[in-house]
Amino acid sequence: MLTSFNTTSTLSPMPCALGSKEESVNRMLLALQQVSLGYEGRSVLERISFTVERGEFLALLGPNGAGKTTLLRGMLGLIPVQAGQIEYGFDRLTSPPGYVPQRDTLDPIFPLSVLEVVLMGTYARLAPLRRVGRRQHQIAATCLEQVGLAHVAEQPFWILSGGQKQRVLIARALAAEPEVLLLDEPTAGIDPGAAAAIMDLIARLNRDQGLTVVLVSHHLRLVRSLVRSVIWIEEGRVAKGSTETMLSPERVADVFGMLTGTE
Amino acid sequence: MNTLITILSPDFLLRDALIGSVLVGFICPLVGVYFVLRRMIFLGVALPQLSAAGIAFSFLVYRVLVGPHQHFEMSERVLALLGSFCFTLVGLLVLAAFARHRETVEARIGITYAVAAAATILFAALDPYGEAHMIDLLKGDILTATGGNLTLLTVVFGGVALVLFGFRKELLLVSFDRDLAVVFGMRAGLWDTLLYFLIGVTISLGVMTAGPIVTFGFLVVPPLTARLITHHMLTFSLVAAGLGAAAAFAGFYCAYRFDMPLGPAEVAVASLVLVTVAAAGAVRQAVNRWRAT
Repeated sequence: MLTSFNTTSTLSPMPCALGSKEESVNRMLLALQQVSLGYEGRSVLERISFTVERGEFLALLGPNGAGKTTLLRGMLGLIPVQAGQIEYGFDRLTSPPGYVPQRDTLDPIFPLSVLEVVLMGTYARLAPLRRVGRRQHQIAATCLEQVGLAHVAEQPFWILSGGQKQRVLIARALAAEPEVLLLDEPTAGIDPGAAAAIMDLIARLNRDQGLTVVLVSHHLRLVRSLVRSVIWIEEGRVAKGSTETMLSPERVADVFGMLTGTE
Repeated sequence: MNTLITILSPDFLLRDALIGSVLVGFICPLVGVYFVLRRMIFLGVALPQLSAAGIAFSFLVYRVLVGPHQHFEMSERVLALLGSFCFTLVGLLVLAAFARHRETVEARIGITYAVAAAATILFAALDPYGEAHMIDLLKGDILTATGGNLTLLTVVFGGVALVLFGFRKELLLVSFDRDLAVVFGMRAGLWDTLLYFLIGVTISLGVMTAGPIVTFGFLVVPPLTARLITHHMLTFSLVAAGLGAAAAFAGFYCAYRFDMPLGPAEVAVASLVLVTVAAAGAVRQAVNRWRAT
C-alpha cells in the first residue's frame, strides 16, 4: 500500500526551478487550496491542495471510488466546493476548459453527425442567438483533422467505434480553444490498440501545442510512459509528484496488487 | 380529388379548422423532439391531461366566483388558456424538480396522469355548465376554431417556433450534454425553464385547440417517425414538424371525406406513417443482413 499520503501535498510535479513569485503565478493554471469536494453534504475528498501548471501533463490515479472523477468535476466547476477555494489562472467564461466526458454518459437517441458533435465545442464562444457560421465550421474541421477523423465528419456519431467516438469528443473539447484539457477516463472500455492511439494523441497535443492536460485514468501502465506528473487519490486524500516518483516500479506493483486484490 | 379541391378552396367552410390543425401538427412535434430526446415521452401523456384538468378547474372557479360562462367567447378561451397554462407549467416544474430521482420518475408521471384524468372529470362534473363543453374539448373541438382563435394560435405558435429556432444550439447542448453546458458557463436551469415554458405554452394552446389526444399524439408520434429517418438535429426537427403538418392535413382530409372524428383521424394517420416507416426500416435492415450473409 502507498503510505506517503499528504493531505495538503503541494509537491512540485517536475524538478523545475521557478524564478520570481510572479513567474510562478503566471505558470499556475489551477490551484486548489484546502478544498473539500463531495455530494449532498458528504465529503469524498477533504482539504486537498495542489497546483496545476501550464503545459503540465497530469494523471489523476487511484482505486475505484477513490474520488478521481469527483476531483475532476470539482476542477471543472460541475460540483460545488464544500470548503476551501479553487483559483483559475484563466478566465473560465471567455476561455472555458476543454472537457471530455466519459462517452457512456451521452445518450445515443440524439441524431447527431460527427460534425454536429464537434461544433458543440464552438458554442463556448458563441453568444445566445449567434448562429454557427463559417469560422465555427473551420474550427471544427481543423479539430477533426487533428484527431485524424476529418473523413467521417458527415457520418452519424453513434455508428463510430468506441475509440473513434472518444477522439471526436477530444476534437469537440479542442473546438472550445481551451488552455486546459480535462478528460474523464478517455480510454475506458476501449480496446488496447485504440486506447494507446488515444493516449498518443493526447500526449501529442500536450507536447506539440503546449496544451495542459489533466486526465482521470485507471490504466496505470498506459499513462505511466506518457504523463509527467501524477496525483494519487485514496481515502479522501491526495499526493502529487513526478511520474518517476509516484509510479516507481515498486509502487506500480504495490498499486496493481491493491487494485486487483492479488498483492 | 373533389374533396381535396373543396378543402383547398379559399372559401372552404372549415378553413380555419384546417389551418389550426396544420399549425398544431407543425408546432407540437417541434417541441416534441425534446420530449423524445430527453426521454420524457410519458410526460407527453400526463401534461396534456393536466392541461385539460386546468381548463376544467378554471371553468369551475369562474362558475363559483362569477357565474355561468359563455361558450365560444374570447373571455372563455382566455380563461381556459390561463387554467391550462398554469396547471401545465406548475406540473412540469414540479415533475422536473424531482427529475434527478430517476428510479421513481415513471411512477410520478403515472400518478400525475391518473390524478389529472380524475380531476378533469370531477371538475367538469361539479360544473354543470362546463361538462358538455369539456366533452367536446376532450374529443378536440378544433372544428369550432374561429378567426380570432387562429390569430392567437398563429402568433403564439410562431413565437414558440422562433424561440426554439433562435436558441436551438443552447437547448441542444443543455439537453445532450448538460455538464459541458455548465462548463461553458451556461445556466442550465434557466435554459430548462425556458424549454418548459415553451412546452407549457404549446401544450396549453394545443389542448385548447385540438384536445389532449391530438396534442399528445403530435408531441410524440412525428418525432419518433423522424428519428427513424434522420441523422442530423436540424433535419430531425424539420422532418418531425413537416410530418406532423402533413399528417394533420391528411387526417383532416380523411375526417372530412369519410365523416370521422377529426382528432382521432389525425392521430391515426400520424401513427400509420410511423408504423409504415418503422416497418420499411425493419425490412431494409433484414435485406441488408441477408445480403451481408
